[in-house]
Amino acid sequence: MPATDYQASFLGRISLRRNQVIAMDGNHEQEDLELFSKHVSERFTELLSPPDDVVFDTLLSISWLRKLLDVFLCCEAEFKAVLMMGDDDHPFQISKPPLDRLIHEFLDRSIKALDLCNAVTNGLDSVRHYQKLAEIAASALGQKPIGDGQARRSRKALNSLLMAMSVDDKECSAVKTTERSWSFSRLAVNKDRSPGHLRQVAKKWSAAKQIQAMTWNLVPPRGAEGSGLASPVYTMSVIMVFVMWALAAAIPCQERNGLSATYFPVRKQWSWDQSITGLHEKIAEEWKEKEKKGAAGLLSEVQKMEKLVRNLMEFTDSFQFHGGTDEKAEEAADHAAELAEICKRMEEGLLPLQMKIKEVFHRIVRSRAEFLQALKQGGKSSAPPV
Amino acid sequence: MGKSQNGENLGTETVSDGGDEQNNPDELSSEPGFKFDQILKDVDQFIETLDSGENNFTCIDQFLEMVDSEIAAYELRKASAKFGLNMEEFFEAVKLLWTIIRRLEELPSDSGATSCLNRAGSEHHRAMLLLENEFRTLLDINTDRNEGETKLKTVEEFPYFSPESVSIMNRIGSTMIFAGYEAECCIAYSGLRLKALDAELSKLSFENINVDDAERMSWESLEVEIGNWLHIMKHCTNNLFSEERTLCNSVFSEHPSIAQRLFCELSTSLTMRLLNFPNALVLPRQYSTEKLFKFLDIYEALRDLNNMEIGNYLSAKEFMSDTFTVQCRIGETAVSIFSQLENSIESDNAGRIPVAGGAVHPLTRYTMNYLKYACEYKDTLEQVFQKHNEMEGLTVQKVQENYIEKDDRFLPASPFALKLVEVMDLLDANIEMKSKLYRSPSLRYIFLMNNGRYILQKLKESTDIYDMLGHSWSRKRTSELRQYHKLYQRDTWSNVLQTISHEGVQVNGKVSKPILKERFKNFNALFEEILKTQSTWVVSDGQLKSELRVSISSVMIPAYRSFVGRFQSYFDNSKQAGKYIKYQPEDIEELIEQLFEGNTTSMIRRS
Repeated sequence: MPATDYQASFLGRISLRRNQVIAMDGNHEQEDLELFSKHVSERFTELLSPPDDVVFDTLLSISWLRKLLDVFLCCEAEFKAVLMMGDDDHPFQISKPPLDRLIHEFLDRSIKALDLCNAVTNGLDSVRHYQKLAEIAASALGQKPIGDGQARRSRKALNSLLMAMSVDDKECSAVKTTERSWSFSRLAVNKDRSPGHLRQVAKKWSAAKQIQAMTWNLVPPRGAEGSGLASPVYTMSVIMVFVMWALAAAIPCQERNGLSATYFPVRKQWSWDQSITGLHEKIAEEWKEKEKKGAAGLLSEVQKMEKLVRNLMEFTDSFQFHGGTDEKAEEAADHAAELAEICKRMEEGLLPLQMKIKEVFHRIVRSRAEFLQALKQGGKSSAPPV
Repeated sequence: MGKSQNGENLGTETVSDGGDEQNNPDELSSEPGFKFDQILKDVDQFIETLDSGENNFTCIDQFLEMVDSEIAAYELRKASAKFGLNMEEFFEAVKLLWTIIRRLEELPSDSGATSCLNRAGSEHHRAMLLLENEFRTLLDINTDRNEGETKLKTVEEFPYFSPESVSIMNRIGSTMIFAGYEAECCIAYSGLRLKALDAELSKLSFENINVDDAERMSWESLEVEIGNWLHIMKHCTNNLFSEERTLCNSVFSEHPSIAQRLFCELSTSLTMRLLNFPNALVLPRQYSTEKLFKFLDIYEALRDLNNMEIGNYLSAKEFMSDTFTVQCRIGETAVSIFSQLENSIESDNAGRIPVAGGAVHPLTRYTMNYLKYACEYKDTLEQVFQKHNEMEGLTVQKVQENYIEKDDRFLPASPFALKLVEVMDLLDANIEMKSKLYRSPSLRYIFLMNNGRYILQKLKESTDIYDMLGHSWSRKRTSELRQYHKLYQRDTWSNVLQTISHEGVQVNGKVSKPILKERFKNFNALFEEILKTQSTWVVSDGQLKSELRVSISSVMIPAYRSFVGRFQSYFDNSKQAGKYIKYQPEDIEELIEQLFEGNTTSMIRRS
C-alpha cells in the first residue's frame, strides 16, 4: 500500500480531534506532523539500499552508518522544530499531560543514548586496532614473491587480529590483551584491584541492557492519548533506539548479549514504521547468521576483513617457499590487495564516523537542554534544584 | 658500518670457553668460528660490488649464519637484560641485514639471489620478533625484573623506567623502524603505554562514570566525584602528560614525528576518558547557586588541559575540539547557575513578612557573601561570561550603559561586570520592595540603612567587586545612605524635638505651667515609646549604630539640656519637678545608647 494511504488514515484520526480545537492552528500543526512523518519515511526508505560507493553484501558499512547518523540528525532537527512550533501554537502544551511525561521518557532515553555513543566511540578504537594489524599483513603479503619472512610476519599479525576480534566478541572480557585500549566501564578492569577501591556507582554497564531499558515503555500512542504531538515523540524515540541499536550491532562495545533479539514495538501502520522495521529485520537477520560464527561487530568492513584474514591465515599456514609463484600465491596477493582496500576505507572513514557520533552526542545534549528549558517555562520544572 | 671499517675490536680479546658460546652472545664475536669483523668487511664489499654479473652469496650466507646463532643465543637468555654489553654490535648486524635485503631486492629475479633473499628475509623476521618481544618486555612494567644477569632497576616515579631501560628501548625502536617494522613497534608501544596509563589512573582511583548513573547521583556523591576528578586532572596536567611526552621523545628520539604522533594518540585517548565525567555533568539539572564554585574549578581544570601543547598531529585537533566543547559547556552551566542568583533574588518575597527589627536581610547577606566568594574566581568568570556573550551573539550595549565610571574615568565594562551590576540592581530593587513592608517609615529607613551599609562593607572587603562596580556606584550608595539617615532623624525625632522646643511655652510673655507640664509629659511619652520600640530594632554594623546614636545624641541632648535648664525652675518644688522631669540629660544620653540593640525587653530606667 502506498505511503499516502497510511498517512490519509492517520490524518483522518487526527482531524477528528482537531475539530474540537481551534481549527486554524490545528491545521498548521497537522501539516507539520504530516511532513515530519513523510520525511522520516523517505529518509529511512533510502537507507534500505546501501550507498553507491559501497560494495559489501551487508548493510552496516562505515558509509552507511554515517548516512544513518545524518538521517538521525535531520529527523531530530525536524522533530525539535515540530515540537517547539507546536508549542508556539499552543503555548506550553508540551508541559501538560500526557505530553510532559512522554517527553521526560524521551529525555531519559536520550541519556542512555549518550552512554551508547561513548561506548561505540570506544569500540571504534578496537576497529582501528584491527586496521593497523591488517595493514601489516596486507603489505607483507603484497610483496612479490612472498618469502618465509613475510609469510611469518603476516601470520603473526593475522593471528593477533583474530585474537583481538574474538576477545572483543566475548562478553565483558576482564582479560585484555596488551593491545587493547580502554575499558569503558569500571566493570572490565584489572582483576587485581581490591574491592575497597571501587566506588559504588551503579550496576555493570551493558549495551544490551541499556538498549533494553530504552525500549521500556516505548508504546505507540493510542487514540485517547494521541494529542498531535505524542506521535512525533514516539517516532523520534523509535528512531533513536533503532540508531543506537544499529551502532551497537555494528561496532564492538561492551556486553551485547541478547541485543540481536531486541524487540521493536512498532505497529505497521505508519509508513516510516515499515522502513525502520524493514531495516531492523534485515540487520537482525545478518546478525543471526554471524552470531553462529562469532564475530566482533557487524560492521561490513570488519566482517569482510575477518573473512579475508581467515583465507590468508590458511595460506600462510601452508606456505612453503619455492622461489616461484603459483595460483595460491596469486590468490593470496589478491586477498591481500582487498584487505589493503578495506584498510583504506577504514583509514578514510573511521575518523569521520567518530566525529559524526560526537556530533550526535552533542546534539542530544543540546536538545535535551532546550526541552528541559521549554518544560520549565511551561510552569512545571523538571526537578527541584539540586 | 664505521666500526668494522676502522677495524675496531668490539668484542673482548679473551677466547671464550667453547662450551659457553651458545649462552653468551657478548663474546660471540671473539668465537673463532665467526670472524665477526671479517664477515662484516666481506659483506660491505659484497654490497658494493653487487651489480656485477656473477654474485657469490657465500659471505652473505656466512653472515646469516652468524646472525642466526646470535639470535638463538639471545632467545635462550632469560627475560629483560637480554641485551648486554655488546648489544650495539647486534643492532648493527640487524641493520646491516636489512640493508642487504634491500639491495638484494633490487636485483633482477633471475640473478640467483632468490633463495639467499628468502633466507635473509626469514632471519630478518626472526630478529624483529626478538626485538619486539624484548621491547614489549621492557615496556611492560609488570614483568618480573629480577631474572636475567643484569638487573635493570626501575625508578619510583612514573613512568617507572630506568634510564638504561629507556636507552635499550630507544635502540630497539630505532632498529625496528629502520628495518621496516615501524608498525609493529608503534602498536606495541601504544598498547603498552595505554595499559600503563590505565593502571596509573586506577591508582588514582579514577573510575568511569556513566552518564546515566551521573544523572541519578545525589549532589553529595557527585561532589565527591568532582573532587576526585579535579585531583586527577591536576595530576595529569602537571605530571602525567609531560612525563609521557618525555618518554615518547626519549624512546623515539631519532624519529620526532613518530614520537609526536604516538604522544598525540595517547593523550587524546587519555583526554577522552577524562572528559567523560564533565560531559555527564553538563546535562542540565537545576544546580543551585552554591554549586557554581565547583563548576568553576572544573572549568579551570579544563582550561589548563586545553592549554597544554599536544602537537599538530591530526588527533590533536580532535583533542582540542573535545576539550574545548566540554569547557564551553561547563562555562555555560556556570553562567546558568549564576543566573539563578538573579532568579532567587527576584523571587524572594519572604512571605511578605518583614525582617524583625529592620535587620540586614538574609538575602542581602547571602548575595553579598556569594558575590565576594565568586570574585575570587573573577578571571575565570570574566572568561566564562565573555565566551557566553560571544556565543549568544549579544551585541555590545549602548555606550553609556556599557561603561563604568572609575576614578572619574569611563572604562568599558566586561560582560561579567555588567552581570554584577545587574545583580546589584536586582538586590536593590528587592530591598526597596521589602522596605515598603514596614509600616513605620523610621523602621523602613533603618532597614534600608542596615542593608545598604552591609553592602558597602562587603564591597570594601573585596576590591574586585568594588572595581567592577565602579567608583560612582559606591558614591551614589553612600549618599543614599546619608539621605536615609536624615529621613530617619526627621521621622522619629522631629516630633520629640518639638516637645522640647522653647517656642510656644510662653503665653502672653509668661511661661505657662500647664503647657510646660504637657510638654514634659509628651516628651516622656514620646521618648519612652521610641525607646521601647527602637531598642528592639537592630543595627548590627557597629559603626552605623554609633553614627546613629551620636547624631541623635548631638541633637537631642543639647536641646533637652537647654529645655530642662531653662524651664525646670518653673516647677513649684523638686517633687513636682521630679514628677514631670523624669529624665536628666545624662539619662537621655544613656538611654539613647540602648537604641538599636535588638532587645526584646526594654530596659528603661526610672528615676
